[in-house]
Parts: sequence; C-alpha cells; structure tokens
Amino acid sequence: MFATERRRRSAYLYLTPAALVFLVFTLGPAFFVLYISLFNWNFLNSALSTFVGLQNYTNLLTSSTFWHSLAISLYFVVGTVPVGLFLALVLAMALMNQFAGRGFVRLAVFSPYVTPVVATSIVWIWIFNPQFGLINGLLHMAHLPELGWLQSQRWAMPGVIFYTLWHSLGFDVIIFMAGLSGISADLREAARIDGANRWQEFWSVTWPLLTPTTLFVLIITTIGSLQAFTQFFTMTAGGPMSATTTTSYLLYELAFLFYRTGPAAALAVLLFIIIAGLTALQMLLSQRRTYYQ
Amino acid sequence: MLQRKQSPENRPDQAPAPVPVPHRKIWRRLPWWQWVLGLFLVIIFLFPFYWVIVTSLNGANQVLQFPPVFLPHGQWQNYTRAWSEAPWLRYFANTIFIAGVTTLLVLITSILAGFAFGTMQFWGKSAIFAGFIAMMMIPQTVLLIPDYLVLRDLHWLNTYWAQIVPWSASVFGIFLLRQYFLSFPRELIEAARLDGATETRFIWKIAVPMAKPALITIALYVFLGSWNSFLWPYIMTQSPSVQPIEVGLATFLGTNGTDWTGLSAAVVFTTLPVMILFLVAQRQFLAGAYAATGGVKG
Repeated sequence: MFATERRRRSAYLYLTPAALVFLVFTLGPAFFVLYISLFNWNFLNSALSTFVGLQNYTNLLTSSTFWHSLAISLYFVVGTVPVGLFLALVLAMALMNQFAGRGFVRLAVFSPYVTPVVATSIVWIWIFNPQFGLINGLLHMAHLPELGWLQSQRWAMPGVIFYTLWHSLGFDVIIFMAGLSGISADLREAARIDGANRWQEFWSVTWPLLTPTTLFVLIITTIGSLQAFTQFFTMTAGGPMSATTTTSYLLYELAFLFYRTGPAAALAVLLFIIIAGLTALQMLLSQRRTYYQ
Repeated sequence: MLQRKQSPENRPDQAPAPVPVPHRKIWRRLPWWQWVLGLFLVIIFLFPFYWVIVTSLNGANQVLQFPPVFLPHGQWQNYTRAWSEAPWLRYFANTIFIAGVTTLLVLITSILAGFAFGTMQFWGKSAIFAGFIAMMMIPQTVLLIPDYLVLRDLHWLNTYWAQIVPWSASVFGIFLLRQYFLSFPRELIEAARLDGATETRFIWKIAVPMAKPALITIALYVFLGSWNSFLWPYIMTQSPSVQPIEVGLATFLGTNGTDWTGLSAAVVFTTLPVMILFLVAQRQFLAGAYAATGGVKG
C-alpha cells in the first residue's frame, strides 16, 4: 500500500481538494480580475463588455479620488503600524516579566482581537458619540473641548485608528512575546556581565535578534491595515466627506455601490501591486539587517 | 515571509512553535508606576466590554444622562426588545452551520494536503508548496469582484455555498499540518506499513489523532474567522435566511442605529458565544498565535 509508485499518485490525490479550491476561488480569480480591469465591464451582462486596454488604469492614475484614497490609506497605515509596533513591543517586553496577574493582563490585551469587528466597532461608535458618548463626557468633566469624533472630518480617522489599535494590538503582543522568548537569556546575561545597561542590552542584543519577528509584525500589520474594511464600513462609511475613504473602501464603493466593475478591478490590481511591492520591499530591506541566532 | 532563509539548527520544520518562557527574574516586585501603567492598560482593553454591558442594562434616560452612569440598572427588557426586532435565531443557526461546515472542510483539506507535503515524495513537490504559500499573498479585497462573478455564474450567490466552499481550504492549516507531519516519527509509518495498514487507514486512525493539538488550533481559528467574517457574506448574500450573525448585526445597526440600549444588548448576545469559546479555549488560541510565527522566527 505504501509502495513508492502508489504513494506518488496518492499524493496528487490528497492535494486535489485544496488545490481545486485555490484554483477556482483564488488563483483563477486573480487572473480574472486582471482581465476584467482591461474592459469596460458590463456588470449585468458580461458579454456586452468592451475592451479598453489600459484606460481604466490611466483614468484611475489621473483621478484625484484615487490619490486621495491612497493618502487616506497611508494616514491609516502610519497611524496603526508604527504606533502599534512600538506599543506591542513595549507591552510584550513588560509581559515577559513574571508578576502577579501577568496571565490576566495578557488575556485582557489579547481578548479584543477575537471579537467580531462589527460588534465591537458598534461599542466604540457609542463611546465616540459626540452628544452622549463616554469620551466626550470625560473630556467635559476634565474641562477639555469636546470633539465630533467619527462625525468630524478631522477626528474620524484618529477614532478609527484608536479602535483598530484596541482591536488588533493583542495579536502583535503575542507574536513579539514568542519572538522574545526565542532570544536566549545567556546572550542577554553576557551583555550585562560585559557592563551593558538595560538600554544598551536592548539595542545591541534584543533588538537585532528580534528583527525577524519585528519584520513579520511589520508586514502583517501593514497588509492588514491596507485591507481594513469593516470598521470603516460600520464606523464612518468612508466619511464624513470621504475623510476616511481608504483605497479598500473606494474599491468597495466602485464595485458594489456604483457597479463600475472595470475601474474597480483596475483598482484591485493596483492595490495588489502596492501590497506585494511593500512586502517585497520590507523583505529586501531586512536582508542586510536580519540577524539569525 | 514563510520561506525566508533559516539557519540549520533553527528550522521551523524541526523546531515546534516557540513556547514563551518568562525571563528569569521570578516574581519581580514591580515599581509603583508600572503597576499604575498595567492597571491603566487593563482598563483601556477591558472597559469597552464593561461599558457595552452597562449600556445594555440601562434605560434610555440613563444612557443619555450627564455625567455618564457607570452602573447597570437591570433593564433586561432591552434584551427582549432587541431580540424580537430581528431574526436572530435564524442568524445564529446560519452562522453555526456555515462556520461548522467550513471548519470541518478546512480540517479535511489540510490533513490531506499536509500529509502529502509532510510525508511523501512526489514530482513538483516544492513548486506546488510554494504555489500554495503564494495564495496567501492574494488579498481577499482583490478577489471580491472576480469571485462575485464566479459565484454568480455558479448560481451560488445568496446561498450557504458561497460562504463555505471558497473558504474550505486554508494555507495556514496546510502549513501547520505539514510542519507537524514533517516531524512525524518515520518508524510509525514503517511499522504501519509492515502491519499492512492502508494509507487512508493510517492517516485517519493514527496520524490524525496524534495531530489533535494542531487540529484544534486550526479549527478554533477557522471557526472564529468564519463567525467574525463580514465583508464576504455581506457582498455575496442578500436574504436573512442565509446570512450570518455579523451581517445581521450590521443590518440591525442600520435600522436601529439610535437605540443604543437595544443595540448594546444585541452586541452582547451576538458576541457572547465567541467570548465563551475564547475563554474556554484561551490556551489554544494563544498557542495558535505563537504557531503563526513558527514560519518566521523558527
């Protein structure tokens, strides 16, 4: 039964279910979206679509809507990724110490990550409510100016960023904790014996050895932020006045509110290129600066 | 990110996911400011949970009061009101069915593919594996439009199938089980072969039971992801008879957007099952998060 010939063939058999799913719903559609992006696609009747070449792309690249959405996405990425990375690392390092209640704090920090975004973003819409919300109530009690939060062009994005950090930080903390626990205590001790203080020990031992983990967190949070959709849908619907219309949200609007399938497909391709490009760039930058134990 | 160069003594296929060991300072007394900081963090992370429960149990007048009311007042009728205003039972049944079947299918496809990649030799193995991993690079947002058209051609829009089949294979699951089967003792396979066991029998009777921890981790994350998913079912379905709970909750937000007490009650009873699952299986959830780094740190 385990003869080499049999095994070879059954291997393909075992791969078939997964491969079929990927082929039909991931790989095939990835090429299909590229194809659609070259057409003035008729949403209701595909047969009536007309080939327009790269026109969807040139239209997008010359439209202010696209560049605006890209700027909004960048704002969101900058607000979530570096801040999240820093906070997650600090928290992870604190949680590597043994102290009473450590398990509870870890659980508390991680728990928002498992909650559904629709549900918990509703809680934060309520907390951010300009008239009756908790935050403005607290600001009022502290004699500070109250803000419009999700209903203000200026403060809507900080509100969504805050929610997103609350929701996702725990996962990054856990990943950093895994990375930190992989760094041998002997190395850190050796540094201390050589007279390094905590700060020097961090910069010359912990930080360089942690680079693969940091990079991993950097990549997944950047990709996650570029793809974030649900909290924008529930909290701001891209508004007010498209102040929170990220590229992913614009893609949804184009495709499923305005049924402009061709341009939306072109936008999807551009989004994919941006995500893949950033990933490749982060990998490349790391080549020199990654240390392996 | 899963294929980076590894030093030989530290390869993910030989080392299990790192289990965090606290640094050696045992029961360190924390300085007061760290206590305050820790307490502050716990409050920030947990307060929204408390706040939604308080709001769900207060009357409309208490909710709109200033200064804010920080204690609940037992207004349980918010729950009965919210419950009666949407087909929640149907949403729950749909969600459990979709998440359950998706999880089961992911386990099956992952076991089969993971077993092939982990224990067998065949032509094109590493290329196919790289191809599978590359699937992770293609974001869901990018696939929405073409998959919508594919599902429409299959006449699967507004069905359970649209919500199950496209998610019935998982790169994460395959990767995790491949790692597991790579470290599977060869002697066991040999012994089973000498005993005349068939390959299928070997997989289901010996390999699968032994892979239980990995399977539980995969099942939990797939189930959670399916339960929490919103954008996909929102786009691919229209009628409450097939829609999952989060889409139902978003619809409820659209129609009852100013009924904060009822909305809070709905948030509580739709999220409770996930939170219970998380609290019961917190170890496995954390282990899964560590496992996600297995390919990177390794």
